[in-house]
Amino acid sequence: MSPLEIRALIDRSNIFADNPHDGVSAALAGKTIINLFYENSTRTRVSFELAAKRLGGSVLNIAVAGSSVKKGETLLDTATTLNAMRPDILVIRHNCAGAALLLSQHVDAAVINAGDGRHEHPTQALLDALTIQRRVGRIEGLKIAICGDIANSRVARSNIHLLGTLGAELRLVCPVTLLPADIGNMGVAVYTDFEAGIEGCDIVMMLRLQTERMAGTETPSQREYFNLFGLDSAKLMRAAPQALVMHPGPMNRGVEIDSATADDVEKSLIRTQVEMGVATRMACLEAIATRTQ
Amino acid sequence: MTRRRFINAHIIDPGQGLDAMGYLDVTDDRITAVGSGTPDASDAPETDIDCSIIDCKGACLSPGIVDMRVQSADPGAEHLEDLPTLLAAAAAGGVTALACLPNTRPIMDEASAIDSLSMKATRIGGPRLYCYGAATKGLGGQEMAELGLMSHAGAVGFTNGTTSVADSLIMRRLLGYSAMLDKPFIQHCEDPALGKDGEMNEGETSTRLGLIGHPSEAEVIIIDRDLHLLRRTGGRYHVAHISTAAGIDAVRRAKAEGLAVTADTAPPYFLLNELAVSHYNTAFKLLPPLRSEADRLAVIAGIADGTIDAIASDHMPVDRDAKMQPFGPAQPGASGLDTLLAASLSLVHHGHISLLQLMTALSLAPATILDIIGGSLTPGSAADFILFRPDSGWVVQGASFISNSRISPFESLPMQGLVDATYINGVAAFAR
Repeated sequence: MSPLEIRALIDRSNIFADNPHDGVSAALAGKTIINLFYENSTRTRVSFELAAKRLGGSVLNIAVAGSSVKKGETLLDTATTLNAMRPDILVIRHNCAGAALLLSQHVDAAVINAGDGRHEHPTQALLDALTIQRRVGRIEGLKIAICGDIANSRVARSNIHLLGTLGAELRLVCPVTLLPADIGNMGVAVYTDFEAGIEGCDIVMMLRLQTERMAGTETPSQREYFNLFGLDSAKLMRAAPQALVMHPGPMNRGVEIDSATADDVEKSLIRTQVEMGVATRMACLEAIATRTQ
Repeated sequence: MTRRRFINAHIIDPGQGLDAMGYLDVTDDRITAVGSGTPDASDAPETDIDCSIIDCKGACLSPGIVDMRVQSADPGAEHLEDLPTLLAAAAAGGVTALACLPNTRPIMDEASAIDSLSMKATRIGGPRLYCYGAATKGLGGQEMAELGLMSHAGAVGFTNGTTSVADSLIMRRLLGYSAMLDKPFIQHCEDPALGKDGEMNEGETSTRLGLIGHPSEAEVIIIDRDLHLLRRTGGRYHVAHISTAAGIDAVRRAKAEGLAVTADTAPPYFLLNELAVSHYNTAFKLLPPLRSEADRLAVIAGIADGTIDAIASDHMPVDRDAKMQPFGPAQPGASGLDTLLAASLSLVHHGHISLLQLMTALSLAPATILDIIGGSLTPGSAADFILFRPDSGWVVQGASFISNSRISPFESLPMQGLVDATYINGVAAFAR
């Protein structure tokens, strides 16, 4: 997306954020939205569902993990089946990179990517940008550190694209074993020393580390990970004085972030991120609905 | 006795280093004469009523292609492609002999399986079908299969198919045992731990696409290990579908050292690179994965300087069901027989190698490596040859492949090079 398109979505999200229940738009009236989730998700799915309902749409949730996938149906067969029911928008979360693109090539409905494998999670990046914009007033020129499991994170990739496009100065901070190849070519500075990485940063964005990655395969242990790469109030001192903390959730308390920091109302934006999720998804759904009309 | 004379042919015979306008005489199933220019007046078949004259009108005439890496889905997965369509596609692609991987169901890890497939191919007729024996039982990589008995049944070499033999001790014994039987060992070079879960070549593109990277080092690590073992065991070692610059360098150094090492590659590795994956098109999911542009150029340089001896189709039947998936779980592999000659001719059209070099890589070299019929038009040899027009243009459409395996990484690409006829033992197995 171009900076202009991103700005337009953020501005519109901002209006929805200010008026969550005011019926600003009924863009989805008479439209059907299907949430097709191949991975368990609470906040993203609920957030899309709420957003669609606030815009007047009818929402159907399909937790595919518990339905036809178990009977061996492929993604495209499921897509074709759903397509026959003529939904207007399909929101998909899938564990494979490229799944949303594949789906969009085979259905008539508009497709929103709610996370595809390690690839992208665009609405998360948009809501992160909105959260920062509302609290700080700008994104351009901010020093933002994205910390943790970069290799397996779609949130990191989407934020690199989006926050980078909006002019933020991006740093990636993670153990070398969780660093994907040649990521330095994506316009980011890479740090493997946590404190050096967040030094002077305005935003410290922590990523979730899956517990199964701490069993000696990618990092030696949970306690070592927290010691070297976990965020606590002492380490946060290295960031800028007014630094803010973000996390896309769900958090592993005591693994990548300690509770005191996560729950610090002054510094933590984590709950605001969830709130902004609904507003952002309203803007995205509205943009698509008005485009497809 | 049937005598035929092919005239006005552009003879390309890597066996004799002949690249000139000329003629070829065939008597029954044998080549009886070949030469440049027009035949001697003393031997005037025009007066011989038994001899038919075929005017090739300038088409190329060369030994048939010897395709040293083909996956047959028969037996075990005939719905993907059975032996008749495989052999028909081979003949139409100018292939007169092919060597099949042991990755069938049941796995070709004993003599009877090799006997069975070879005899089935003989019944069908057409291109000569040879088999590799599975190096280890069930291709499990742990126990040596009955290499000696398979050798007696006609196995032309041994391989663990689409996996490397990971255990260095087993590999050492396999190399020694193959040497004892005077058969080449064909290795798919991929360190299993390093390449585990890999979805595409590791690099910036895999990072951007969020696909799990398969590092190019996975290839050279196995090559280097095997070369160390080879110095101890002796024997012949062949690197299959080589795809990385580092791997090619290792083979180049080993050849300079005098080790009996050979290598082949396949057209995707000199025509495409990892950027093809950018839109998650699963037709580009191959094994090994498409590599970087630097690797692609190294493959071309390797073919040009002879480090890479042979070009094979790496034909692997995969159907739509296995490909109509997200990139990660999609099955690797693609059809290769229908496009082998034209795709390889691009190396000539781009000026990287001569026609003679190309036919060496497609015919003489693989025949020599596997010690089988083919690769030469020398009088007395079997009349396995093809007529083709190197400049004729066409557009790749998997749907119209003769092979029942229709997924191609070259879909919609324009190509140059069409086979007019394929002769095996002097009989036309294909004619356009």
